[in-house]
Amino acid sequence: MTALAHRLSLRRTASLTRWNATLLSRNRLALFYAAVMPLLPLGLLFTGERGSASVGAGAVVTMFLVIALFPVYYNVLAQFVSRRDELVLKRMRTGESRDAELLASIALPGAITALILIAVAIPISAAISQPLPVNPLLYAALAVLAVTMFTAFAYWTAAWTKNAEAAQLTSMPIIILASLGPLTNSIPSMSDRLRDILSLTPGAAISDLVRIGWFGLDGPGATKATLTFAETWGQAAGPLLVMAAWTFVAVMLARRSMRWEPRA
Amino acid sequence: MTPIQTTTRPAAPRSSGEPSTPAIRVRGLRRTYGQGSSAYEAVRGVDLDVPTGSITALLGTNGAGKTSTLEVIEGLAPATDGEVSVLGFDPIADRTVLRSRTGILLQRSGFSGDLTVRETLRLWSATLTSPRSVDEMLALLSLEERADVRMLALSGGETRRVDLASTLMGSPELVILDEPTTGLDPESRREVWTLVSDLRDDGATVLITTHYLEEAEALADRLEIMHAGRIVRSGTPTEIEAGYPSKITFAEVPDVPDDLAEIRRVVHAHGRTTLETDALQTSLSDLLAWAAHNDIQLGDLDARSPSLETVFLSIADGRDPADSAHVTPTQEGALR
Repeated sequence: MTALAHRLSLRRTASLTRWNATLLSRNRLALFYAAVMPLLPLGLLFTGERGSASVGAGAVVTMFLVIALFPVYYNVLAQFVSRRDELVLKRMRTGESRDAELLASIALPGAITALILIAVAIPISAAISQPLPVNPLLYAALAVLAVTMFTAFAYWTAAWTKNAEAAQLTSMPIIILASLGPLTNSIPSMSDRLRDILSLTPGAAISDLVRIGWFGLDGPGATKATLTFAETWGQAAGPLLVMAAWTFVAVMLARRSMRWEPRA
Repeated sequence: MTPIQTTTRPAAPRSSGEPSTPAIRVRGLRRTYGQGSSAYEAVRGVDLDVPTGSITALLGTNGAGKTSTLEVIEGLAPATDGEVSVLGFDPIADRTVLRSRTGILLQRSGFSGDLTVRETLRLWSATLTSPRSVDEMLALLSLEERADVRMLALSGGETRRVDLASTLMGSPELVILDEPTTGLDPESRREVWTLVSDLRDDGATVLITTHYLEEAEALADRLEIMHAGRIVRSGTPTEIEAGYPSKITFAEVPDVPDDLAEIRRVVHAHGRTTLETDALQTSLSDLLAWAAHNDIQLGDLDARSPSLETVFLSIADGRDPADSAHVTPTQEGALR
């Protein structure tokens, strides 16, 4: 706590976050991508058999990935790169704001929006005949890990992104990395070798953890909830480890590659 | 701008160091961009002292290394080699300590265009330990009428004034201004000069870079002139100008003698004759006497003491007379 306090002033971080949230709210397109679009996948709950766990898992996994990619990853990437490009960050670094405060304040509006959306998805899904999460703690842990990982990936991507326009291209590797993983659960005929490889991606880990933690589904082909609260922990160990490992890698990459000056 | 008195936090007493300890001390500073065959050394061994409570101007042509030097002093970039001390601290390792005591105006910087002027200053205020009020800063920089205008709608000069307001909002004891008046109209420029002078009068130390030589002459207690990554002249304006000759020019007279009193040399160029001298009055009297005696009209006669512009242009053109073997600087400290 002391080390954190040394790097962060909560008062200053809160002030900076409030201003970043104000800026986000004034950009209507960014606000739509951050706060509205991530919930659209829940419309899938109206398709197929009402209350089906597999339909519910598909909708929630899609929502989770859209949340990770838009209010968190792409939002942070675009904000950081454009402010670096416009020398706003350089100006802020001449003042009393510390680097950690600037980074946290850019990430927090998207992160808070993401966590709210992830929480709001529970009552919305329940209202459309979906069950409540079997293991809410696992679901919450997944949310925190996903937000941390994709925020770190955003700062890493920013290091080699020349400007906000270029972010549309440089973000593709992470978007693909996140999007391919859920195929392990949606293509039952996939070869075991390919499934093993894809299951190591963050997208697959997110998909597995949603299926296990919320819907109690045991394995890729499962369509009925069979896992109890206690059993979900054992099933979740593998994907949790994958998420933790990717989060660690993302944070390390971000720390090593942080760039405050515009790229020449 | 409204004549509001600036306030600057008095310099904090330091446990180590005498009162005369310079606010900024730089020794052997080098800064290189790139690596290997593409490496470019922008700063090549700079030594610099900025006395506490003074205004020191860092002058130089574009690419002389001024901003590269400042960025190291500001803690925004590491030195390739050399030592830098700011208020007794390392500008990078002790950045957190220094930031509350320094005000920095970058040569180019940005603000979020979607915030208004007032919001921008409120945001800045929220990051400071002891900020002056937003309204006070708006008045100080004549921004009251633009307070509710978004930053993206401001002119370059107005944006610069918001930048200055942010720089001074924390009442810093050390102020570093990189070309503060660029983009300002002449009237606003004069007002900024007053503001900077007031800072010094209140006890602050100011390091300023500028392309406007009259600005440096009007404001600075000391000048440091950079060229090609080095400081080539250092001292008070008087000391620096002392190594340079006064000039008497007139429409070309081919047979003007070169042995007039105190004349260093005679140059005929572009239809004019120029006499360089270390004793303007003596040489001018002798010239006028010679002209009267020979019944020669000296057309378009002009006589002037050395100016900072003379010094600056000589250095920029690489024909620095103070480096010449003929020159004996009257002030030892004027040469480095």
